[in-house]
Amino acid sequence: MAVEYETLLKPTSQARRLRANLVVILAVAATLIALVPLVAVGTYVISQGIGVINLDFFTQDPPGDLSASGGGIRNAIIGTLEMAGFATVISTPVGILIAIFNTEVGGRIGAGTRFFIDVLAALPSIVVGIFVYTLVVVAQGHFSGFAGSLALAVIMLPTIVVSTEEMFRLLPRPLSEGARALGLTRWRTYLSVFIPTALSGIFTGLLLAVSRAVGETAPLIFTSLGNNFFSTDMSEPMQALPLLIYRNALNSAFPAARDRAMGAALTLIAIVLVFNLLGRWLVSRRRAAGSTAR
Amino acid sequence: MEEAQMATATDITQTPVAAQHTAEFDHSLPDAAVVLKLRNVDAFYGSRRVVRDISLDIARNAITAIIGPSGSGKSTLLRCIDRMHEVVPHARATGLIEYRGIDLYDKRIDPAAVRRSIGMVFQQPNPFPTMSIFDNVAAPARFNGLVHGKNAAADLVERSLQRAALWDEVKDKLHQSGSSLSGGQQQRLCIARALALAPDVLLMDEPCSALDPIATLQIEQLMADLRANYTILIVTHNMQQAARVSDRTVFLTMGEDGAGYLVEEGPTGRIFTQPREQLTEDYISGRFG
Amino acid sequence: MTARTQSPLEIPRAPQRSLTRGLLREGDLLFRLLALIVTVAAVGVIALMMVDSVQTAWPVFQQFGIIGFVTGQEWSPAFAIYGAWPFLYGTLLTSALALIIAVPIAVLIALLVTDVLPPRLAQPVAIVVDLLAAVPSVVWGLWGLLVLVPIIRPFEHDVAASLGQTIPFLGPPTPGPSYFAAGLIIAMMVIPIIAAVTREIFASTPRLQREAVQALGGTRWDVVRRVVLPLGRTGIVAAVLLGLGRAIGETIAVTMVVGNNPLVGGSIFSPGYTLSSVIANEFNEATETLHPEALIALGVVLLAFAVAVNGAGLMIRRRFERSAGRGR
Repeated sequence: MAVEYETLLKPTSQARRLRANLVVILAVAATLIALVPLVAVGTYVISQGIGVINLDFFTQDPPGDLSASGGGIRNAIIGTLEMAGFATVISTPVGILIAIFNTEVGGRIGAGTRFFIDVLAALPSIVVGIFVYTLVVVAQGHFSGFAGSLALAVIMLPTIVVSTEEMFRLLPRPLSEGARALGLTRWRTYLSVFIPTALSGIFTGLLLAVSRAVGETAPLIFTSLGNNFFSTDMSEPMQALPLLIYRNALNSAFPAARDRAMGAALTLIAIVLVFNLLGRWLVSRRRAAGSTAR
Repeated sequence: MEEAQMATATDITQTPVAAQHTAEFDHSLPDAAVVLKLRNVDAFYGSRRVVRDISLDIARNAITAIIGPSGSGKSTLLRCIDRMHEVVPHARATGLIEYRGIDLYDKRIDPAAVRRSIGMVFQQPNPFPTMSIFDNVAAPARFNGLVHGKNAAADLVERSLQRAALWDEVKDKLHQSGSSLSGGQQQRLCIARALALAPDVLLMDEPCSALDPIATLQIEQLMADLRANYTILIVTHNMQQAARVSDRTVFLTMGEDGAGYLVEEGPTGRIFTQPREQLTEDYISGRFG
Repeated sequence: MTARTQSPLEIPRAPQRSLTRGLLREGDLLFRLLALIVTVAAVGVIALMMVDSVQTAWPVFQQFGIIGFVTGQEWSPAFAIYGAWPFLYGTLLTSALALIIAVPIAVLIALLVTDVLPPRLAQPVAIVVDLLAAVPSVVWGLWGLLVLVPIIRPFEHDVAASLGQTIPFLGPPTPGPSYFAAGLIIAMMVIPIIAAVTREIFASTPRLQREAVQALGGTRWDVVRRVVLPLGRTGIVAAVLLGLGRAIGETIAVTMVVGNNPLVGGSIFSPGYTLSSVIANEFNEATETLHPEALIALGVVLLAFAVAVNGAGLMIRRRFERSAGRGR
């Protein structure tokens, strides 16, 4: 497609200048429009939720009846952390090994697995929930925190694979050649050279994956189901922050439920933000240091 | 660029490829003094030949320099010796490379083991960034099962660093990162790391290109010291360095077919003062390359 | 093989080490095998889940036929009649609405970040826009339910009362929760994705082409119109497809604002339902005959769409990256 250079040789007219500025105005306007909901959500949740949060809120469990006031979200926080933690334990080694596989195996097979992982990344999370339901919940005969964390692990997996693979790709070739010339075997090279060098990047990918997993509701609805009581048993249904928010929001006609949902939402956003911003900060630090440390 | 080179080279352009003259093989070295034998070595990237029919003897406990213009296959040849060439996809080498009587390309040979006996130092110093100076030297030896226990490792590190003329400069900061050193120090660290595996051949691929003149001098001095106990093969595009440092010189150049071939080799003094080939004389006097 | 001379060195020469393949080499083989097994297992388990789900849903497809199920307009669990069309319609409509809103905004944001703002400002703006994606779906839904829907209800009412009189598609009813509300919420979640991908596309515009236009006296708009947009056209399509893929999968936020009405609403302001939200809502109370299987069948339909849309988006993006790499 040829760029029409000739038409540009006319002198800059008022009209053209206006058009150029119009673009800027539109672009700025669009950005501001997009940011309005972000600010709106943030301020709403903070303003509505801050009054609800106190120490009791974190140390007590919710009442059996959603419309009753009082209680807290302890079981949801513990459940979220437990399931996310377990999901991390499952998905991290698997993700790193898949990334190693993709890096070492080129050609069509490597491209195939990479494509599979990319499609997996884009799957609706509710579909992932259905998958785990049919495979695990049906087989076990009951809902469980384990099924929930498996669903979260599947959701986290693509992020970990992609960011680890990216890190391996960015490793300088002299590093690989130097290790090889010293007679190091491939597994030793990955274990003692590649992974430690790529570690901060891998960790960043992990943080971003966790921040996503912690906020997911749909895959948990029919895997871990939710639980009104406090439980750390992964083989039992388990509560999670998003689930608690969801159920209370559906009952938000009751002020107590509404308040609980707000406080929980604020807590959830805080957790997600911490992971997210931590991840981004690590990326920027690595980028700054990367140019000097070679 | 290759055309320009070819234009200034002498009769070669008039000679059809098949009749291209490969060097008379200089059998002047007695067998006992030979540590590496190369016979009819070719190297390919896919179907493209980059090194043609090279036969050489490499003398033990000597420094042999491989010189020649860009594209003459010097580095490729070097990498064939420690089986690093084949690491690139679709790259392969044919012919015989014999090390102490063992055919290095025999099917039963483990390339990783070859690389433990024949060490390599690269153009760009490449210490492991996440390891301390100590670990950089000790870890590869440890991974290869050559040293066990903290005391043995500490000993090995000290000896290797001393052998690489780096010990005094780093003995107080062994646990700092390898990348905190200057370029010349990093290169000596890489040499120490390679020496820790107790190879007896050391391949050096333009080891001073990325270093300043002072660091270069230090490395050259180091090579002279190492010669007594190691065989050193150095690829360099710096003719003065080759003349200064080496005992024997090998001159490669790129042929019409794009593959590097051996023009002449022999004792450094003779190569530089009384070369037998016109091409060699042209290169040394700067008429091309 | 000549025996080594005993060297007077301090570094003892290791005895001639065996050059033949040893255990360490086998260790390498084990490693490759491990990576292979884990990868195959992971891919296999996930593929198995897919197959399992399709199998579970199969009786429903058998009973109504695949086409029959997808186009079936009636969803009555009590009578064991299941048709996906109301939900498919809802998914398509809400996604379309979301894209109509999100794509222009996202493309403009991408332009702002790559072509208008200086790098020092562009970075933080890009980060803040990306934060939109960090807000969990359930929080969007909570805010949508309690804040957005009440706010837009009068707007919906006004539009329905005016334009809606001539265009039924924009007419009543306007209870609040609706396709339109869902479309709005989805747009907010999809903007950062489309913006991020489009940003990459624009950033990869060859500098040579940009500078050619600038050197001839082109304004910023000229550069955008003549170079960035045309060259990035394919990439934008890929970005839109990826955004669409995300849009059709949005569940929780949609459930809270879409109205949950399993009928095809006549107007964008009618309450409706989407594939994902009906599954979320009805799954745990699905006790009727074939009800759970029908919901899983809806999931399979959703899966098929998601794979098709995202697969297409990914392939177009790959093709774009490859041709951009060749410096077209």
